[in-house]
Amino acid sequence: MNKERHIKVLMAKPGLDGHDRGAKVLTLGLRDAGMEVVYTGLRQTPEMIAQAALEEGVDIVGLSSLVGAHGYLFPEVVEQLRKRGLGDVLVFGGGNIPKEDIPPLLAKGISAIFLPGASIREIASCMRSKVEEKRKGSSY
Amino acid sequence: MFDENYLKEVERRRKQWEETTLKAALERFGAEESPNEFYAPSDIRSFDFLEKVGFPGEFPFTASVYPSSVPGSGPVTGGWYLGGGGGLVRAGRYLGFGTAEDTRVCYERDITRGRKGGPNLPFDLPTQIGLDSDDPRARGEVGRIGVAVDTLRDFEDIYQPFKGENELDKIASNWTINAPANIILAMYIALAEKRGIPQHKLRGTLQNDILKEYVARGTYIFPPQPSMRMIKDTITYCSEHVPLMNVISISGIHMRDAGASRIQALAFALCNATAYLQLGVDAGLDIDSFIRRFSFNTLGGSMEVLKEIAVRRAERRMWAKIVKDKFKAKNPRSWILREAGGYMIGGWTTHPQRPLNNLTRAVLGAAAGALCGYIPSVEPPFDEPLGLGWSIEAQQLAEDAARIIQYEAKLTKTLDPFAGSYYMEYMTDKVEEEAANLINRVESMGGSIRAIEDGFMQREIARSAYEFQQKVECEEELIVGVNCFNDEHELEVIPTRVVPDTYDPTKRAEAENKQVARLTQVRGERDGQQVQTALKQLQEAAHDETTNLIPLIVEAVEAYATVGEICGVLRSVFGEYVGYGHI
Repeated sequence: MNKERHIKVLMAKPGLDGHDRGAKVLTLGLRDAGMEVVYTGLRQTPEMIAQAALEEGVDIVGLSSLVGAHGYLFPEVVEQLRKRGLGDVLVFGGGNIPKEDIPPLLAKGISAIFLPGASIREIASCMRSKVEEKRKGSSY
Repeated sequence: MFDENYLKEVERRRKQWEETTLKAALERFGAEESPNEFYAPSDIRSFDFLEKVGFPGEFPFTASVYPSSVPGSGPVTGGWYLGGGGGLVRAGRYLGFGTAEDTRVCYERDITRGRKGGPNLPFDLPTQIGLDSDDPRARGEVGRIGVAVDTLRDFEDIYQPFKGENELDKIASNWTINAPANIILAMYIALAEKRGIPQHKLRGTLQNDILKEYVARGTYIFPPQPSMRMIKDTITYCSEHVPLMNVISISGIHMRDAGASRIQALAFALCNATAYLQLGVDAGLDIDSFIRRFSFNTLGGSMEVLKEIAVRRAERRMWAKIVKDKFKAKNPRSWILREAGGYMIGGWTTHPQRPLNNLTRAVLGAAAGALCGYIPSVEPPFDEPLGLGWSIEAQQLAEDAARIIQYEAKLTKTLDPFAGSYYMEYMTDKVEEEAANLINRVESMGGSIRAIEDGFMQREIARSAYEFQQKVECEEELIVGVNCFNDEHELEVIPTRVVPDTYDPTKRAEAENKQVARLTQVRGERDGQQVQTALKQLQEAAHDETTNLIPLIVEAVEAYATVGEICGVLRSVFGEYVGYGHI
């Protein structure tokens, strides 16, 4: 298929956190970078996020959390995606996440974690390369 | 005011300066445009000191809302104590996490370190959103960003250390609580009653600013209209029964942290404040009787401290005009913008990269605050972006920096030292004009509630946040150690924390299970019938907008009904607000 096929992202706020500056900025930024981005709004349960990912048919789910609930919520989203047969959807995480929390999150199936200071450019390029990698892998 | 001929002469000389002195310098650098600005009397042509600035503590309060500092204790805003003994003596430090017991232990320790006054409590997100700790939606969030409060039992535990000389009638409490503010108020009233303290002696501040929650902070429960009715209940109930309680703390800081420009945060905060004032007026209260229990928490700003000083000056003037001219308040004490704390840089300006630099940033903000009439507030502590809870070292450094600003640099000595500055007066007028235009725009939409329901404020703020991010990415805005000056030659300075974490990570991890167990125990011990009766009468009363629900909420919390149960019956009547993520 077309190598430049577009990328669709679900930007989501899992849990009760109300800080959505990052999620909104990234939604606008990734759109400007040529991706199709749906933003869920606040207070999404992992089930709601996985369901939205299924309905929207996305390549990537982007999770943002700034309140220390990432340890439970991010892997739970991965789990809920798997339950719906969406194990190939890439999950990206970002927010105010202590560095020591990153390895366990990666081990639980999160593709990448971005910390404050990450640029939209950097995130978009990481998303592109991971999606590309996945598409190549699945076509052989 | 300047003489017209004099202004003409100034303008002529400015032109001459631009064409000779300045031009020559720029040519030497091979530059077309000057990187600087310079202001002259002709930039503030109609400046009238008495009209625009006035004396401290007098209309229009541009210089300061108070005529002087509190003698002996320091600067302008009351209630905070600097100096007087060693250690962390400042009252009001924001503190709370985990279970009620964890928080109680923190306060006991702080009191032994010299803490004065009542607690300043952050609540965890489930509490702020009206969910019990055993609600499935609360998983992973219990006790994380604040203390979990499910029932009055939790309040009883948190307030254990506040007895004797710190008894409830001698302290003021501060609660960062919005949607369930009336439940927290009810718990305080119930707790006081149990201790034999009449409610009219209670002092404290509820945040209770629901409108900014829809726009920026996100802890709403009910739709805007019934939420405003709850705030009307706070205003009318407190004005009659708890007259010393600050019923609301109108916030601009959260909008700033969410990405609002300084003009947006100022204008939206004043629009929201106006909407709350109108609630009291519509309820038939005399404005002069209740406005003095309105407080502000607009303190977040940016690193561009000179512009932020202009915002504070403009804000005091604008609010005074709104209250005096629009609401016709007669008592001059009603015209002042009450704000404990004043001005700081705001959380969004601090960064996890080379975190000690945040101290430099906070010091600049606090110095600016001192220069516009506030107690220096070196906030947040430098390690704020590293995770939840501040280290004792960071708090000590913040305390000392505030003391150095006040006692060594003596920056609070002269009130409004920028009064009459061509630049500052020009900037203050400009801020006022731009904010007034935006306020008019919101008013033409029908006011704050409509502007929020339509997603206007949300979209404006998201747009500003994105614009700022774009500037950061193209390096039009520079953030040291974040998007510049961060190559391999730069040194990463890692602070060592010798004193253990304020918020013990092990306790934080255990908090959820412990709190669920506590809650289960309370549910088992209480009189279930009494709870059901109280909830049922609350539910019935909620249908009638003219009934003040607070007495019924007090009854419910006295029966140990949970925050989740009380919000549950209110949800069944009011409905729930769904944020669509306006972008």
